[in-house]
Amino acid sequence: MSIAAETKQQVADIGDKYKYGFVTDIEMERAPKGLSEDTVRYISAKKSEPAWMLEWRLGAFKRWGAMREPTWARVHYPKIDYQAAYYYAAPKNTPLKQSLDEVDPKLLETYKKLGIPLHEQMALAGVAVDAVFDSVSVATTFKDKLNEAGVIFCPISEAIRDYPELVKKYLGSVVPVTDNFFATLNAAVFSDGTFVYVPKGVRCPMELSTYFRINASETGQFERTLIIADEGSYVSYLEGCTAPKRDENQLHAAVVELVALDNAEIKYSTVQNWYPGDENGLGGIFNFVTKRGDCRGRKSKISWTQVETGSAITWKYPSCILRGDDSVGEFYSIAIANHFQQADTGTKMIHIGANTKSRIISKGISAGKAQNTYRGLVSVYGKAKNARNYTQCDSLLIGGDCGAHTVPYIESRNPTARIEHEATTSKIAEDQLFYCLARGIPQDEAVSLIVNGFCKEVLQQLPMEFAVEAQKLVGISLEGSVG
Amino acid sequence: MTAANLIRGLPEARRNEAAALFRARGVPHRRIEDWKYTDLRAALGEAGVGAVVAQWLVANLPAGVEMFDLSQANPPEWVSAHLGHATGNVMSAASLALSAGGVALRVPKGMAIADPLKLDFTGTGHVRALLVLEESASLTLVESAAVSEFRNAGLEIVLGENAGLDHVRLSPADAEAVLVEEVNVRLAANARYRAHYAAFGGKLSRMEVEIALEGAGAQAHLSGVSVLDGKRHSDVTTHVTHAAGNTRSTQLFKHVAAGQARAVYQGKVTVAKGANGSDSNQSAKALLLGENAEADLKPELEIFADDVKCAHGAAVGDLDAESLFYLRARGIPEAEARGLLLHAFLEDAVAEIADTDQRELVRVELLTALKAIA
Repeated sequence: MSIAAETKQQVADIGDKYKYGFVTDIEMERAPKGLSEDTVRYISAKKSEPAWMLEWRLGAFKRWGAMREPTWARVHYPKIDYQAAYYYAAPKNTPLKQSLDEVDPKLLETYKKLGIPLHEQMALAGVAVDAVFDSVSVATTFKDKLNEAGVIFCPISEAIRDYPELVKKYLGSVVPVTDNFFATLNAAVFSDGTFVYVPKGVRCPMELSTYFRINASETGQFERTLIIADEGSYVSYLEGCTAPKRDENQLHAAVVELVALDNAEIKYSTVQNWYPGDENGLGGIFNFVTKRGDCRGRKSKISWTQVETGSAITWKYPSCILRGDDSVGEFYSIAIANHFQQADTGTKMIHIGANTKSRIISKGISAGKAQNTYRGLVSVYGKAKNARNYTQCDSLLIGGDCGAHTVPYIESRNPTARIEHEATTSKIAEDQLFYCLARGIPQDEAVSLIVNGFCKEVLQQLPMEFAVEAQKLVGISLEGSVG
Repeated sequence: MTAANLIRGLPEARRNEAAALFRARGVPHRRIEDWKYTDLRAALGEAGVGAVVAQWLVANLPAGVEMFDLSQANPPEWVSAHLGHATGNVMSAASLALSAGGVALRVPKGMAIADPLKLDFTGTGHVRALLVLEESASLTLVESAAVSEFRNAGLEIVLGENAGLDHVRLSPADAEAVLVEEVNVRLAANARYRAHYAAFGGKLSRMEVEIALEGAGAQAHLSGVSVLDGKRHSDVTTHVTHAAGNTRSTQLFKHVAAGQARAVYQGKVTVAKGANGSDSNQSAKALLLGENAEADLKPELEIFADDVKCAHGAAVGDLDAESLFYLRARGIPEAEARGLLLHAFLEDAVAEIADTDQRELVRVELLTALKAIA
């Protein structure tokens, strides 16, 4: 089978796979339908949270009641009935499969195409890994290593119990409870998430992604992530994975907060491949995420890398507040929208400290009937002497029925600051395609090559093993869109 | 308000529509996304937009150009046909609904007018103007906007096939003036609109340009400079729509802001579905010369067709240190070197003016303004 035909097959597989994923009836333990103070209390009680956390949630809930859903983004969706959804659902004893033989072969095929190692395939597909290999020992090895370094890495619900002082100090300090409609909703009803604390001077001994993938932890509907890098520390974290994700909650509203103190660095990578809806725009995840990093200390650095290929609607703007002098913010993004997908994504770089630097590289690809918007803000405050920003956002259109939009805001209040912004819009150049075809490379493959070349600068930023998978994912996401 | 207070040639339905739009939206303020950097409501304060009528003046009407006073009854057919084209622009709706006067001008088919037509808006209040260039007609329009407490002018331009208009607009500096002007241009196939807007700022100054490239081969070339000092503000907001294929647009805007001044550029380019072969380029640059000066740039692209070439660039900064060093190393004093570089920075955009006399005029104004800064 030629690679092109193979990728076509993969797309078909993914489609089928999702149908599979969505009919699976898993026994759930649920909070009563709808959203009220009782729901918030229920969730808090389920998590055995201390009183101060409940107060925090209730405060957010009260506030949320008075807020209005934002409408400024270029995304259209039917009105969400917040009372018709469940806000807490914990899977109860999900029956584990005994071996990979019980897993849908098409799903396995997709994993294989993405190059996901066998053990991880099992974990992802919900096979009882213990039966096959000793996951406990793997996890324990990781845990030991992290403990040795003093890195705290645990579910946020555990952190609330075990490290209340840290949580109290940092939770909501980057994305305030009142930040925006979806962040406030998250503050009231978040079910779980991740907490990371890297102590002073520690370089996290592994990519936290590695651990995360093996554990394939359940991504909640309202996830809350808090990562703190103390002075002089370094951590790299990867969220999500290239494998298509099964999920039956339509609305996702996650909040991610990053805090980098003096000389600390956080690298946060995301690969998002949630259900995008079918070819006719039916179904799919609404992904409304608030992600923000605070370079609180001098010479701190926060780097966001994202590959967004899934979800029917993506609404996210991972941002950096460059508060500390000499701090650095980076944003590398690939957003692919095919069929009826809508993506409105970008970043904010807020230069507050002197000598702060930021760099934005955004690659938007639209195909089918999709709409893809880059929306970004670079703001230089009066005291940000010698601030520098460079922004490049490129759009690629495939077919005449899609849209690619660029909405950059540039605000400068300091004469010594230098901001540069460039944007281009293009289609796949005929001469590039011709060059490939003349050398015997089939059209589909050529397109995949060209698109990967278009995205190269961003793919390079991903941790190695994910870069390889993401590259394949880019091809898969676009196959079937070129005539 | 009685009927005598309104433009008589404007069909009732169009006026009502405009009035309803303005009533619904009200005076724009910074919570409205398009007016984020220009708070008209705050600048006007209690007084609001009022319902006073501003004046217009055409000093020397070149031979061949037809003119009609909009306060008069029984307008010719070409006036009623084109006046008050609905755009959804809130301040344009206000000028249409609230003004009782204005002027309509027409260059008949095939006529090339050599002398520039000078149009001045004066006084406080709302005023309307309509300029129609019929097929293959051409004209140079020189507009000056004398200062006033508050004026809202709505200028509509209709260009027939192959028509060509050169438009130069000069708006003087006045720290107290609140000037809002909407220019709406519709271009038929192969028509050409070339405009230069030179602005020196006011308490609030907003130039809102909407251009629709409706026919294949239509072109719009916009350029502009602004030199601001003190607490002056200048906002150029453009929206170019490539509604047909093989259309071209270019934009080049240069701003210099000193003191506590604020320079704003918001430019949006829309390429409609099917408008293949559209080519658009947008460039906006600002130099900040004062510790408290501010520049806000928002070059926006909205693309619904794939066979297009669209690019935009924007940059904010100070004068290039290396260039400055180069000049100083050759014995040019710093103040003079800075002046030279500023001039060079602005000249790119001024060079876009086709008419030699007008280009010189803008240069002189720029020199004066730059001297005031240095």
